[in-house]
Amino acid sequence: MLTSQEARALARATVAMTAETGADEAEALVFAESSALTRFANNRINQNVAEENAQVNVRAVVGKRVGVATTNRLDVASLRATCEAAVAAARIAPADPDFPGLPGPHDVALPDRVAPATLAFDAEARATAVAAIIAPSRERGLTAAGKVRVGHHVTAVANSHGVNVGMALTGAQATVLAMGASDNAGSGWASFLDADASKLAAGALGLEAAELAVRSANPVALDAGDYTVVLAPEAVADFLDFLSYVGFSGRAFSEGRSFMTGHLGEKVMSDLITISDCAGAPHATGVTFDFEGQPKPPVSIIDRGIAVQPVTDSYWAAKLGRPNTGSALPAPNSFGPMPLNLEMAPGDRSLAQLIAGVKRGVYVTRFHYVNVEDPITVLLTGMTRDGTFMIENGLLTRPLKNLRFTQSAVDALAHCEGVTRERRFVGTEEGASYVPGLLLSKFAFTGQTA
Amino acid sequence: MRDIINAALDAAEVAGASYADARVVDSSREELRVANGVVEGVEHADSFGIGVRAIADGAWGFASSREVTAAEAVRVARQAVAIARASALVAGTAVRLAPVEPARGTWSGCCAIDPFAVSLEDKLALLLAADEVLCLQPEVTLTEAHLGFYRERKWFGSTEGAFTEQSWTESGAGLVAYAVREGEVVSRSYPNSHGGGWQQAGWEYIAGLDLVGNAPRIAEQAAALLTAPYVDPGTRDIILDGGQVSLQVHESIGHPTELDRVLGEEAAFAGTSWVKLEDAGSLRYGSEHVTVTADATIPGSLGSFGWDDEGVPAQRDTIVRAGVLESFLGSRETSPLLGRASNGCMRADGWNRIPLVRMTTVSLEPGTWDFDDLVADTEGGLYLETNNSWSIDDKRLNFQFATEIGWEIKDGKLGRMVKNPNYTGITPQFWGACDAICSRKHWQVWGLPNCGKGEPMQVSHVAHGAAPARFRNVQVGVGR
Repeated sequence: MLTSQEARALARATVAMTAETGADEAEALVFAESSALTRFANNRINQNVAEENAQVNVRAVVGKRVGVATTNRLDVASLRATCEAAVAAARIAPADPDFPGLPGPHDVALPDRVAPATLAFDAEARATAVAAIIAPSRERGLTAAGKVRVGHHVTAVANSHGVNVGMALTGAQATVLAMGASDNAGSGWASFLDADASKLAAGALGLEAAELAVRSANPVALDAGDYTVVLAPEAVADFLDFLSYVGFSGRAFSEGRSFMTGHLGEKVMSDLITISDCAGAPHATGVTFDFEGQPKPPVSIIDRGIAVQPVTDSYWAAKLGRPNTGSALPAPNSFGPMPLNLEMAPGDRSLAQLIAGVKRGVYVTRFHYVNVEDPITVLLTGMTRDGTFMIENGLLTRPLKNLRFTQSAVDALAHCEGVTRERRFVGTEEGASYVPGLLLSKFAFTGQTA
Repeated sequence: MRDIINAALDAAEVAGASYADARVVDSSREELRVANGVVEGVEHADSFGIGVRAIADGAWGFASSREVTAAEAVRVARQAVAIARASALVAGTAVRLAPVEPARGTWSGCCAIDPFAVSLEDKLALLLAADEVLCLQPEVTLTEAHLGFYRERKWFGSTEGAFTEQSWTESGAGLVAYAVREGEVVSRSYPNSHGGGWQQAGWEYIAGLDLVGNAPRIAEQAAALLTAPYVDPGTRDIILDGGQVSLQVHESIGHPTELDRVLGEEAAFAGTSWVKLEDAGSLRYGSEHVTVTADATIPGSLGSFGWDDEGVPAQRDTIVRAGVLESFLGSRETSPLLGRASNGCMRADGWNRIPLVRMTTVSLEPGTWDFDDLVADTEGGLYLETNNSWSIDDKRLNFQFATEIGWEIKDGKLGRMVKNPNYTGITPQFWGACDAICSRKHWQVWGLPNCGKGEPMQVSHVAHGAAPARFRNVQVGVGR
């Protein structure tokens, strides 16, 4: 496993090699990973894997022509061949008159996001955690499935203008699905994500899922229609991620494919909704620079319901005449820039208070297999799973069969009437959303699992 | 490579493995993308490494590394055995593998013209020419044209004496025309959406697609979609084109008949299945017109190989026969639960991933209808073409799909164009409502290079043979 310093040195050396090969400008991106994942199902470990990898991405620029090559062979001959492949690709590509050149260096804060306990969380520790997660399900006659994953990641970026950054981070993740055996059995879900594996309360996580599974047994049907919903954070994260995927990119904004196109400064959501990208926050996961080595300042995207700005990288910042928000993905990519450290601002209520405020509605633990039907309105369809309940007179009552929704995410957040204080990280350590629970007064369910 | 693999296998046995296999994978990928006349990306990527899978104390372990040396292979093998021993701390019944004759030999896929040997200039010239044609349509303000090539060479050995070497090349291409106006964006793709068309083939496949010749049609259709109406909500008879049928097969027949899903092994991520192990031989999955096969021997299909990643030879199996479930997609560990040998569906996404139960070429067998006759036989309904979005529940029962384009059918004739039509259904009811499938003349294998499954995520290259098919009384226009 490369250290951060070694990865930075490798990135610089690759940049020099690319310049020697004939590039006018050069960028090298180094990723190194040591990770392990223990998977369990049917109350036993069924898959258990470990991986050591490192990869170098080379971006070569000749005039305004760009080529990229990638390899995980780190011997000098292979690296040189990769640099030559990037330069050869650049030489052949027609010039892009809008290419602004690679960006220059800026100060980047590089906080320590490595937890020693995560580095030490070996196969035996993961097995012990799995046993603790499974126990509450086994005691209740349920089966548990999920994972315990630990990762150590290093990312470094250098370019021929002096960009030279690198950072290591760790991540620990656990998920658990508890479920009964019969057709009418329920299922429950819980998840954990942190840089520090020692914070994993495995037994409590397993208990949360098991109790939800017991409570969601014998679900009943619900007619399709518009309902008030309370979304737990895991469900909110799906909506936020799809908003980002199709709506927050400066590219989608420029091309007229974003709900924000033509609406900056306008109110597009409830004034309870504030969304930002905050890689530098003390609680954030992930690296604090983007894949061009640029700093990631706090970026306000939606402020109290008002569309503020899309995110950019060096290319789309120049093209749009806007500041670079440090949201570059590895080149080349067809998405354009993307925020990887999204946060939704907290409210002043508890989840119980949100539920207490609903006379008749639906509580959703999480969604499954969400997809986009219309990018402009962020019209999404997907299913609920692992704990869907009727809310009646402020209380969770009957469990419901899984419901299909067909709902615009923008419109759903325009009908937000409550936000929880508590927020949770959902995703991976390299790109997690930090989200509260929400009360939405209008949400379209259009079908149900038979 | 044999020495390195043997070093790993020997080390695993010395460390106490009752079984081990090792794979070395050397892959290369090339991608070229043009958007709106600008070259957006020219990229080449290589990946090389070794993965060792071991059973010790009755449980599985796997470790992998990008360093392919004998010394590292030994380290990785020992790590895999140590991980297996940790798995055994929370184990169920000891892992048993169905017997298989140790595989030995070599296999290579179809490829007439090596696409990696075709110059980047020629590739970009093709993309720019097709893109230029798309841009001629005034309403089309965004365009995409891409080419992709993938090459893999793989060595596999096991402690049972297997040793194989396989190699193949995949080629893919696609065009997308977007028409955008205030508050609306519509798209048309060729030859398919979500990555275009793919085959296990060389440059000859790209040349045969005629990207430039097809560009005017999709650009015109994208423009026309801007002013086309949405489908009125209701229940209609629908005819799906082969591409959409292939995705319908993928999501609502392929995935739910994967034995690991059926057994709950994928429950926490991708989900389980509405189908149960004991349903084989009795479950009515669809109408008598519905026969589905899994075939890893079709030349040129993304789902073809010589041996799967457990060394089981490629084969053809019938999954659904005349509407009745007959078999599942299995592995050496899962198929014995049916009292059967593995039908060879274990595949891994590279050296750093374990094999999982994956689709091969899972196909809806052709019927007898000519497409024009099928339309003429449909009094009223919709013809839907090219997938736009897809979603299905965790048991693979409740689905909702949308296509890019559709046409109303009135009195047996295609009529008015409709935009982004969607439809929803429940799997056995939907396949039970299939009353006509077009003939082999209209049947083709659709490559699908982006099937996600597993944790860590694996992306598999699979395929589906499909022809247009008709389904009665389907709910359309959901949420519009």
